[in-house]
Amino acid sequence: MDIVAVHLAQVSRSLATAAESSASVPLSEGVTEATVAALRPSYKQVIKKRSDDTVVQTGIILNRSPILTRTPTRLERAYYAYMQRIERALHNPVPTEFYFKSGSLLEGIFNREENARERKAWGRPGAKPRKAQSSGNALGEENESGLLPGEEPPPQLMSRITEADRKGDVMSLDRKGERNLYLLVQARDEAGKDVWRFPQAVVGKEELLHEAVHRELRSPFGLGMDTWVVSRKPIGLYRPSVEPQPYLFFYKAHILAGQARPDGKSVLDFAWLSKEEITPRVDKSYWNGVKDMLSDF
Amino acid sequence: MSAAPAVNVARSAVKPDGRWRAAIAARRTKALTPRKLLKRDQNGLPVPHVHVIVRDTHQSRVADHYNSTLRDDLMYMNYTHKPADSKPPRNIRLSYDLEDPYVKHRYNPPIGGSFAWTRQALPPVTYENVVELECIQLHTMVKDALQSKSHLLGAIMAFRAISGLSTEQGGQRTTEGVQIVRGKKQVQGWMRRKAPVGVKVDIKGPQMYDFIGTLVHFVFPRMREFNGIPLPRQSSSLISASAASGVVSFGLPPMAMGLFPQIEYNMDAYPNNYGMHIHFIANTRGEGAQNRVRTLLSGFQIPFVRA
Repeated sequence: MDIVAVHLAQVSRSLATAAESSASVPLSEGVTEATVAALRPSYKQVIKKRSDDTVVQTGIILNRSPILTRTPTRLERAYYAYMQRIERALHNPVPTEFYFKSGSLLEGIFNREENARERKAWGRPGAKPRKAQSSGNALGEENESGLLPGEEPPPQLMSRITEADRKGDVMSLDRKGERNLYLLVQARDEAGKDVWRFPQAVVGKEELLHEAVHRELRSPFGLGMDTWVVSRKPIGLYRPSVEPQPYLFFYKAHILAGQARPDGKSVLDFAWLSKEEITPRVDKSYWNGVKDMLSDF
Repeated sequence: MSAAPAVNVARSAVKPDGRWRAAIAARRTKALTPRKLLKRDQNGLPVPHVHVIVRDTHQSRVADHYNSTLRDDLMYMNYTHKPADSKPPRNIRLSYDLEDPYVKHRYNPPIGGSFAWTRQALPPVTYENVVELECIQLHTMVKDALQSKSHLLGAIMAFRAISGLSTEQGGQRTTEGVQIVRGKKQVQGWMRRKAPVGVKVDIKGPQMYDFIGTLVHFVFPRMREFNGIPLPRQSSSLISASAASGVVSFGLPPMAMGLFPQIEYNMDAYPNNYGMHIHFIANTRGEGAQNRVRTLLSGFQIPFVRA
């Protein structure tokens, strides 16, 4: 009963991003016994179909979405540069007489910036191409500092390569900002062997699949993370080749904040890895079952 | 093996290296030089051989977010599982054979009435038909324009600055830029037929995603007493025309205009602040389609609240 109550509270919290599912879920923060009881019949229907000896497990594909824009390829850069030049050649001139009072300070600034943009696109006749400035200040040439009185210096961009990238720290969430990263954990399997796999949980007798996912994410291992499970439906199924092993239903979730904590019992170690880094760590048949659920990039 | 170098030696004996290069360069120059001179337009400027069109000029961050994260999530969220052995739904309506000579050139009224599309169930979600934005339309009515058309100028310039679009810009013939909206009906004391009373602009492609970025990062956070866009009541119908047409609309008050960075730069130039309607038009249509579009928009961090 407790699990259901907490779960409903969680659903109502995540509603801001799941508007459509709101129709069937009560909205009040305090979930009453009555609402839980109202949900019970559907539970029984689902659970009655499951025979006693079936063991079902859920796996969680916990994703860290890209936090940086993708670096364009050489072809893309050339294409964008070419299109920018065409755009500049064809653009309608700005009607400065509407947008600025003639002789105003703003007009002066705008004209200087516009000249700089023009020069950047076409260059000046007889001048060597300027080196790209790291600060990206378009006014740099007129003035030594390029700043008007009271104007703040432009912000310095952070490096796209972080400390974690340099060290190759697979536990850090700052690594590979352009890529989708997935949480892989090291755990002990039935045979007592240490294997790398996605986090997973055994579904209880009186439990629905997505509840097991939420329970696992609230266990000591996931308590330090703020996560959001994308839907109540699994995104994929892994059928192990050896029959006594249980079926594994995979759910997609996103990490929003925090970090995983290995508890030393069910989870020994963890790593945030991109798709191709997962391949060598996991079993081959397991990989064939899950590879299509992961983003290539 | 032995023949090839012999040929090379023989050739280099006939034509020294420098002359070869000169011959190739001459041939290339000839190939590159246009036979005819380019046509000139009325201003005396050359008209290129091809129709030059400006395509994407930069990578769009918000569009990348849609393609890498939102698209997958929306597919999973809206997916309805259908067992493989389930029967196809029974077609309860009459259907015409369009090739039948009896019906071929007759008026074919939509089965179920002209609003049947609102009751049509959304198609099952596949990777191909995930909900996606097609266009954002901004619209404003300037009531003073009924007195004098010149009052529209401020709104036109504001929309031009916000959208960055002008008619057929960059050779894109479908880009309409800022358009004038005219009155449809004569309403005593309010509207005159065909009188210019407002402006609108359709934003598509990468500019559309940039507009969402501006809205979410510059406008919404700085709006006072803004909690989010109100949602309709939970009991509201899913088959009304608005709920089924896959369009989400809301309005911004006049004070929000100054929060767009493009306007903020030279606020003094505008005679007035203009509020605006924003319509997010998506590619989905059918029962409850609007909710799907809301789900999409909340993925772009546009907040929705229960009123």
